[in-house]
Amino acid sequence: MSEEKKEQKKEDFEPKIVGFLCNWCSYAGADLAGTSRIQYPPNVRIIRVMCSGSVDSMYILRALLEGADGVFVGGCHPGDCHYIDGNYKARRRMVLLENILGTLGLEKERVWLRWISASEGQKFADTMKEMTESIRKLGPNPIAKHWDL
Amino acid sequence: MTNKTIKVKDNDIAGSVNDFLKHLLSSGKVQALLVPQNMPSKKVVFPVFISDPKKLHADVLAPILPASMASLISKMTKVQSPSKPIGVVMRSCQIRALIELVKLNQARLDNIIIIGVDCPGTFPINTYTSFPEKKTPTHFLVEAFVKKSDEAEKYLRTACRICKDPIPTNADIILGFYGSDIEKEILVEAFTEAGKNLLKDIALEDEKEGKGREKAVKDIREEKNKKRADFLKEKEGMKGIEKIAEFFENCVNCHNCRHACPICYCKECLFDSSVFDAEAYKFLRKAEIKGLFKMPNDALLFQLGRMNHMILSCVECGLCEQACPNNILLMDVFIPAAENAQKKFDYHPGKDKNDKIPMIVYREDEFLEVGEK
Repeated sequence: MSEEKKEQKKEDFEPKIVGFLCNWCSYAGADLAGTSRIQYPPNVRIIRVMCSGSVDSMYILRALLEGADGVFVGGCHPGDCHYIDGNYKARRRMVLLENILGTLGLEKERVWLRWISASEGQKFADTMKEMTESIRKLGPNPIAKHWDL
Repeated sequence: MTNKTIKVKDNDIAGSVNDFLKHLLSSGKVQALLVPQNMPSKKVVFPVFISDPKKLHADVLAPILPASMASLISKMTKVQSPSKPIGVVMRSCQIRALIELVKLNQARLDNIIIIGVDCPGTFPINTYTSFPEKKTPTHFLVEAFVKKSDEAEKYLRTACRICKDPIPTNADIILGFYGSDIEKEILVEAFTEAGKNLLKDIALEDEKEGKGREKAVKDIREEKNKKRADFLKEKEGMKGIEKIAEFFENCVNCHNCRHACPICYCKECLFDSSVFDAEAYKFLRKAEIKGLFKMPNDALLFQLGRMNHMILSCVECGLCEQACPNNILLMDVFIPAAENAQKKFDYHPGKDKNDKIPMIVYREDEFLEVGEK
């Protein structure tokens, strides 16, 4: 990476976001945003998972330790989970994860959990815009520059 | 109810407890016992599984916890419960761990009779085996206990020094040292039907004064709670990537802490798998992005991942810290994290075997601030 790029200003900083989207709702929502040609920032790298409840906190921690600036987890709306209660469990995991983020000294705003249904292409695009801007304000993940982990 | 007592003969506490335990074995009330016993060298005490009363030389007060008793019980009950009663002599932290393993479907309590012992604390294995004082560790501890002095305090493991609760809960019977003159008598109290049955037909004396125990238990709990609160306050600043990176700097990724932990039970741990092996170009790419990175490169992820997986059930036994070959003071980070996490879910590991592990249950109307804003 060039020195020039490293010293970019905060406003030009392009956050890297890892997005875990559930197969049944959020991934389909993102797909709809695409097929509907709704524009949204390209900062998110999407990984399709079967359920938001299958996202072990370890995946999120690994993304952050490897230098991702933010992690997004998308699931079905409460009550709509394809597996009945995966998203409720994802929510509990997120509460537990906040605790570990605190130990690491990371802002809990770097990890987002949102409910996006298959029909909410617009909401997916809006959420991505909102999250990208929010992470841009927070600045780069301080862990990214640590090589001693 | 009046408590019973075991009379201590000739100041021989261990011997008097052994007479009681031998009686349990020879009367057939328990088929076997899992109990800490002196090794032939007399240098160290390990748990033994014993059925022959003649060979019993237990030392239930020896201040050492070489292995998790809860994990040992998990080993022998996970597949099938014993058909006859087995007595297990355990300290409070290990009973808490056993209750957690039962919730995690890793142990069964049928025909397991828990004989809890009041715990005045334990020393690290190395301190125990090369004890600097003239007396044996057990004598030293008992003397300090009788004198109510804190001279044993400096040898205690951190986890013991700030123990959550040294008095066993969920035991069938308790052998009580707090609140009795242990050079003369040891309290025996039964809490369950199985426990009462155990004490039936055994010639034990009634306790003379009933109140001493209650107050002593309250006092020691208060004292330990205060020490724990002070510790939490002292370690409040142990967070932030700079401090955490330095804290785990010496971690060699040996996973001893995981092996020692009674809660870490996964047959196949993610960190033993080949998930973190990758093609050389991926390592190269990461080096090019960062300039350099430390190897082995997943030590911190291991620590945080383990923390995330077991922290709600953490019973604060401190065996992870004892197992660390590089003396990383794991309690400094794990106890504050456990305290926060358990508070958030109002969960008390080891309190009640009917409680559900927070990660497998939910309510629709909780934590609404997480997720949708």
